[in-house]
Amino acid sequence: MAAYSKFKRWVGASPQWLGGDDRLLLIAFGALVGSCCGVAAVVLNAGLHAMEGLFAGYRSFWWAFLLPGIGAALSSVFLEKIIREGAGHGVPEVVYSVSRHGGLLRMRSMFSRLVSSSLTIGSGGSAGPEAPVVMSGSAIGSNIARMFSLNERQRIALVGCGSAGAVAGIFNAPIAGLVFTIEVIVGEWTARHVVPIAVASVAGAQISRLLQGNQIPFTHLHFDVAISTTIAAGGLAIVTAAACIMLTRALRQSHHLSGKVPLPLWGRAAIGGCLVGIIGIFLPQVLGEGYHVIQKMVEGSFPGGFALVLILLLAKIAATSLTLGWGGSGGIFAPCLVVGSFSGLMYYRGIDALLPGILQVNEGCFALLGMAGMISGMLQAPLTAIFLIVEITGGYETILPLILVSVISTTICHIFEPASFYFRDLIEKGHYLRPRTDARVLADLQISELIEKDCITVPKNMSMGDFVKVVQQSRRNYFPVLDEATGEFAGMIHLDDIRPYLLDTLLHDTVFLEQIMSAGVETVDIDDDLAEVLDRMDDTGSFSMPVVTNRRFVGMLSKATLLDKYRKELMLQTTD
Amino acid sequence: MEVPLFEFAECMNTDPGTVERWIRQGRIPVKRKGDSCIFNREVLEKWAAAHNIRFVMPGKARPGEPEIASDSLVAAMASGGVHYDVPGRSVSEVLRAAADRLEGLPDRESRDILYEKLIDREQMMSTGIGKGVAVPHPRTPLQDKAVDARIGVCFLETPVDFRAVDKKPVDVLFVLVTPSARQHLHLLSRISFCLREDAFLRILNQRPDRERFLKAVAEFENRLDQGVP
Repeated sequence: MAAYSKFKRWVGASPQWLGGDDRLLLIAFGALVGSCCGVAAVVLNAGLHAMEGLFAGYRSFWWAFLLPGIGAALSSVFLEKIIREGAGHGVPEVVYSVSRHGGLLRMRSMFSRLVSSSLTIGSGGSAGPEAPVVMSGSAIGSNIARMFSLNERQRIALVGCGSAGAVAGIFNAPIAGLVFTIEVIVGEWTARHVVPIAVASVAGAQISRLLQGNQIPFTHLHFDVAISTTIAAGGLAIVTAAACIMLTRALRQSHHLSGKVPLPLWGRAAIGGCLVGIIGIFLPQVLGEGYHVIQKMVEGSFPGGFALVLILLLAKIAATSLTLGWGGSGGIFAPCLVVGSFSGLMYYRGIDALLPGILQVNEGCFALLGMAGMISGMLQAPLTAIFLIVEITGGYETILPLILVSVISTTICHIFEPASFYFRDLIEKGHYLRPRTDARVLADLQISELIEKDCITVPKNMSMGDFVKVVQQSRRNYFPVLDEATGEFAGMIHLDDIRPYLLDTLLHDTVFLEQIMSAGVETVDIDDDLAEVLDRMDDTGSFSMPVVTNRRFVGMLSKATLLDKYRKELMLQTTD
Repeated sequence: MEVPLFEFAECMNTDPGTVERWIRQGRIPVKRKGDSCIFNREVLEKWAAAHNIRFVMPGKARPGEPEIASDSLVAAMASGGVHYDVPGRSVSEVLRAAADRLEGLPDRESRDILYEKLIDREQMMSTGIGKGVAVPHPRTPLQDKAVDARIGVCFLETPVDFRAVDKKPVDVLFVLVTPSARQHLHLLSRISFCLREDAFLRILNQRPDRERFLKAVAEFENRLDQGVP
């Protein structure tokens, strides 16, 4: 304990001896966080296998279709009753915490999603383990930062390190970990973030290789990619984009539908799970994370023809939306990969049936391209898709069609679904605050920081004559009027409104401020959201507003001061 | 070094709440310890320059701060001098005599310039403001000749017709010379406040000596400073 507090002090002092720079410190922490997340990824993998083994024994019974229901219900009970965290797949929660709370995450988030997603996926629910492990990794980073009292900026970097280490660990894909984190979680391509996150990726992948070997998740035969493949990739992008839109809307619809069922959350999760189980009786390929199915497709040894793949594609979309939309726990990543490879395979088989032999490449190549198209469309993160697929398949030879299908699919999806799957809810709630944006600067500035306190307040029983003397001494045009008996805010006097009467000495002793003030003025509360207040100011065309809390006048909020502070904040946030 | 948070916010010319947030978010190379800020001055100054944010340590004058017209009537009158039995039968004669007597002007040439400017102003419109008082002054501040504000108080030998608003002949001049228009207004409003008081006019009529006169002015100024909120 003594050593810990000594180290903590040393960490606190580091900016001084490093000339105010904490980059080296962040690299060291990045390695630590990345290693921890690598371990978490391996643990999740092991947990999933253990669950699958546990449930496998019951698969042959007639009531096996209930298994996904039981798993989903258990995971819902675990999250809601035991851990007391909301459902959801984790990534939006991490992005929200990064943009709103400086990357603060709860300690229990380090393991909660690991357990709940193991229950859902292991029992057969159609979901992925990646988002949960991203959440765990981020929480590990956040809590390590808190242990050492790091500041918010450093904490955000460590949350990024956690997510990168986790993705790098679970996929054995260090570049994808780095790119995913920067593109989706942090949203800021600066050296300050890239360096520690890259180190964490390396550490995460290294630990996972150490513990479970350096495996490429989806090995395949060598593909001879010809120009026909690259051209065909353009068409595939349309198919994957369509699949993306279908999956997005199916998820949304089933979420709406489940919201109308008058049952507790675990009850809904159980119904969704059982429905998945019923689909699974006929099409067992849609159950679970589905990696063995992908492996078969990438190898080119998936049985059946065009029709079977089409049915499986639709069934997988249905199973995924029933699992996640009805309250199961897990991510969208793995289902996307499965749906993507189904759509790639379907596209290949369709083209091959119409124009036999035109695509001089194994169908596995198109399964792989389909995955890239699906991921890039769903996450609207083309770089993540490109690097992830190259790394998890070791298929660098497909890079040209891979890039093409990713960017086109992203673009088409963006037209129909402007917000990515991860950010849609955040955008709807106004919580999507990327660094270096207007929304971010406004969210950081609190009204209490902007208040001008040098206003002269006047009592409402003051005579006009006395008020003229106050005006003489003042530098402002606004005068808040208070009720002297209660001290409460009564109204405002603006010089422009009373200018014609100011010089009329006859009125000086006959008129009191109460009679000339504007009583029903719009006021701002000190805790109001600045962006909303600005909208109100724009609506009313006013340049300043009184800040009133508990009926007490606190100060004035004016656009002039705001510009000054806003500019300062912008300079601070946009220069490194 | 260690500076209280409140003071540090003033150095940054911002709100203490903002500084607190910046430290929490890690946007500024400063550590917090209770209510004070700990930082390395060199590092912080470098940081402030890189971010184009002004940081001024206490004690250093802030550049570009507006001058405040704080000069009092007494100080201006003391440096301009109180003069008795100023001769002259016409406006131009008394102004010439007053310009010659005003203390603190460096040379003959600047007195000539002042005289011409006073005459110029007088020709536009009388500076006789009634009750036997005139406030001759140049229309524009004297170019770098008069460094600080001064008022020459001149009791005339014989009353002179200034074509004042109340047609009364003038027997007291306040020759007002200021480096800025702002100070001009400031001092003029103080003179006008004093002249509104009958007690002040009675003192003027008594033509007291320099010490007693300045003491009386100081008393009126005091009332002005405290009388209005």
